[in-house]
Amino acid sequence: MFGVMAGLPMPAFAQTAFTLPPPPFELPFLPTLSGGWTATIGAEGVYKPDFEGAKASMLSAAPILYIRRAGSPDSFHSPRDNASIALIDFGDLRAGPVAKFVPARNQGGNAALYGLGDVNAAFELGGFIEYFPVDWFRLRNETRGGFGGHGGVVSDFSADFIVPVTRSLTFSAGPRFTWESTAATAPYFSINQAQAMATGLTLFDAKGGAHSAGVGAQIKYRINPQWEVHSYVEYQRLLGDAARSPLVMVRGSANQTTVGIGASYSFDFKIR
Amino acid sequence: MRLTVRRAAFAFAMLLVLGRSAGALFETRDSKLQAVKTVGIISAVGDRFVFSKAGLTGFDNSSRSVSVAAWALDDFFVQQATSLLSARFQVKPVSYSRATFAAINESPLRPVELIRGDRFKKLVETDVTPQGLDAFVVISRAKSDLGAGGRKVEGIGLVTYGTMMESYSAIHALYEIRVVDGKTFDVIEKLAAGPLDNSTDLRLAGPNRLLDEGIPVGSVEASDSMHRAVVDLITRSLPVTLEDMHLR
Repeated sequence: MFGVMAGLPMPAFAQTAFTLPPPPFELPFLPTLSGGWTATIGAEGVYKPDFEGAKASMLSAAPILYIRRAGSPDSFHSPRDNASIALIDFGDLRAGPVAKFVPARNQGGNAALYGLGDVNAAFELGGFIEYFPVDWFRLRNETRGGFGGHGGVVSDFSADFIVPVTRSLTFSAGPRFTWESTAATAPYFSINQAQAMATGLTLFDAKGGAHSAGVGAQIKYRINPQWEVHSYVEYQRLLGDAARSPLVMVRGSANQTTVGIGASYSFDFKIR
Repeated sequence: MRLTVRRAAFAFAMLLVLGRSAGALFETRDSKLQAVKTVGIISAVGDRFVFSKAGLTGFDNSSRSVSVAAWALDDFFVQQATSLLSARFQVKPVSYSRATFAAINESPLRPVELIRGDRFKKLVETDVTPQGLDAFVVISRAKSDLGAGGRKVEGIGLVTYGTMMESYSAIHALYEIRVVDGKTFDVIEKLAAGPLDNSTDLRLAGPNRLLDEGIPVGSVEASDSMHRAVVDLITRSLPVTLEDMHLR
């Protein structure tokens, strides 16, 4: 079926859907808004563990919304990538700042957490570097320092083979590895005296180190110039003290699987 | 009492200054362009035709280029832009070193690029004669990301994109236009030509189209076909781009 689809002449971009009037004022240090733009809207459903180390998973939905200059390609993006800006861009080598928001872990949110107290939301800021030795293979590292819910350091490593199967279908997959410092691990996996008394779990002092290893795969299919569907699966096996924590061993699981599926619609518009 | 009057006068003076600054700050490009009567056109897209590979490639995916000086694309750009802009502006011929303009390359370090500022406007100030025109329209190569890997393609060329099932080639003419104020040498407007409505599914941020199939790349026939395709891309995209820049 894909071979037949690929053989059809398929323009990637729709005709301009509408034209907006020029903005009433412009700031001199910002690029002009005039010209063609592509807007993408959609939704993604994600089935993922309730919290890191949880046995139970929950389904949540997230919107997809972004705007880019018309014709800008969708550069490869793995579900584990966080929001980043490439300040250094050699094409095959990119680097810049990265940020991640880690939601709060509330003990009321899951029976397995009862008695452990809440962990505040954390913001992680740091840098990323990614390298494409060839177009179809990417190595990426994100190293971030946290504040709020944890004050440690998290370093995510990933490699992805990106295989364009046809013009419309792209498949990618690769291994993942995460290292975390003690300060990033302890708030989520240590069991202190009070928590032990409240939960019956044994005391545990979680240290940093190798945190998880796994694999991920995603598939994207462009149905037509407007519609695109995608799906992914990410499997992580918790390692080290994260896996040895009584929270995970007694009430949770070291096997963490996230599955996502989404669809998006793109249209072009113009600003005069 | 005297103090209050002084304070009021100072506040009034500040308001005037701020008002004027804000007016200048928020002045639209349209209003700046309204004052422009005479323009000079500079084209420095260059005479290199670049062959690039992307997608599922071998380990050596470096690009190569050949000279297409015989196509005289910069002269064609100037001729086309002159004809399109003549209805609104007085277009004056200008002299400049095309090679100097064409040699400008963006730094991959964005902060460096921000600190260094726009080098085209500096060249317009120092290397173009005659000076004294209201504005200069500078046409130069643009860059676009290509495919998943963030590979860059630039200017005029041919991209061959490989997938597991097939490979296909597209011609591109990636260029951007600046309007440089002839008095202050500030960039009034800058825009890269966008893809045409019937572009290929290659997703390039500029004019591109599929190369006719069945023509072996490298043959004389292919060269003619590519020349025609590039001319077609420029002819169709230039009016749209100038219009998007409010120059027509």
